[in-house]
Amino acid sequence: MKFIKTNKGKLSFQIDRREKALFFQVLKLYPLVPANHQQLSRAEAKPEDQELLEEALATQHKEHKRKLDAMLKAKSRFQANKQGYRFTLKDDQLEWLLQVLNDIRVGSWLLLGSPDGPAETFAALNDDTAPFFWALEVSGHFQMNLLAAATGGRTARAESPSAPESE
Amino acid sequence: MPDIEQEEKSKSELEPGYLVICWNDPVNLMEYVTHVFQAVFGWNKTKAEHHMMQVHNQGKSVLTRESMEKAEHYVHQLQKYSLHATMERDE
Repeated sequence: MKFIKTNKGKLSFQIDRREKALFFQVLKLYPLVPANHQQLSRAEAKPEDQELLEEALATQHKEHKRKLDAMLKAKSRFQANKQGYRFTLKDDQLEWLLQVLNDIRVGSWLLLGSPDGPAETFAALNDDTAPFFWALEVSGHFQMNLLAAATGGRTARAESPSAPESE
Repeated sequence: MPDIEQEEKSKSELEPGYLVICWNDPVNLMEYVTHVFQAVFGWNKTKAEHHMMQVHNQGKSVLTRESMEKAEHYVHQLQKYSLHATMERDE
């Protein structure tokens, strides 16, 4: 996946056929992080506040899953060309896609047993956990591509004389 | 009496006595953490990277000190990005 340009608030990417298949395959794993994984506080949290947090995260998972399914089904989003496919994302779509990919990355890490560093990660690998290592690495690869686009988009907006100041 | 208690509770919730803390973990990418800080707090890249490096090198970074409600809001936002963030009372 390669970030091409930003135009009128839309970010354009080029992706080849094999990479697109990989992208879809990893996105289908969403969600992997359980809603009760996160804690509001290490020291003190009222049960009702913790419950509220878990409800908010569960609602987000549902909403992201709905958007994701729509994106994976919409054939018009990926326009075929000689090199593979061209697709565009708006800023808000880029944000939820980053959240989705990081959920897959963090969830895979949890399923690997939360290893601390490469040595522990490799020690945790077996036939059952290997797919989570794959998902951890692949989701990270696509995150880095989207982050490059986010940085590029931010730079382009800052250089545009009509761009509103956001930072 | 209950009214006074209620009033004191509300006052304490409104005071900026809660720290929003991001904790280190070995899974979130450094570039991603920087991006999330920029997106959630509207910080420039230099400030976001400074806090990201604090998380990385010192194990945690205090991102902001807020009222209970605002601290909860920020923790929710950070956790939507799957960062390891909590709110703690500033003793």
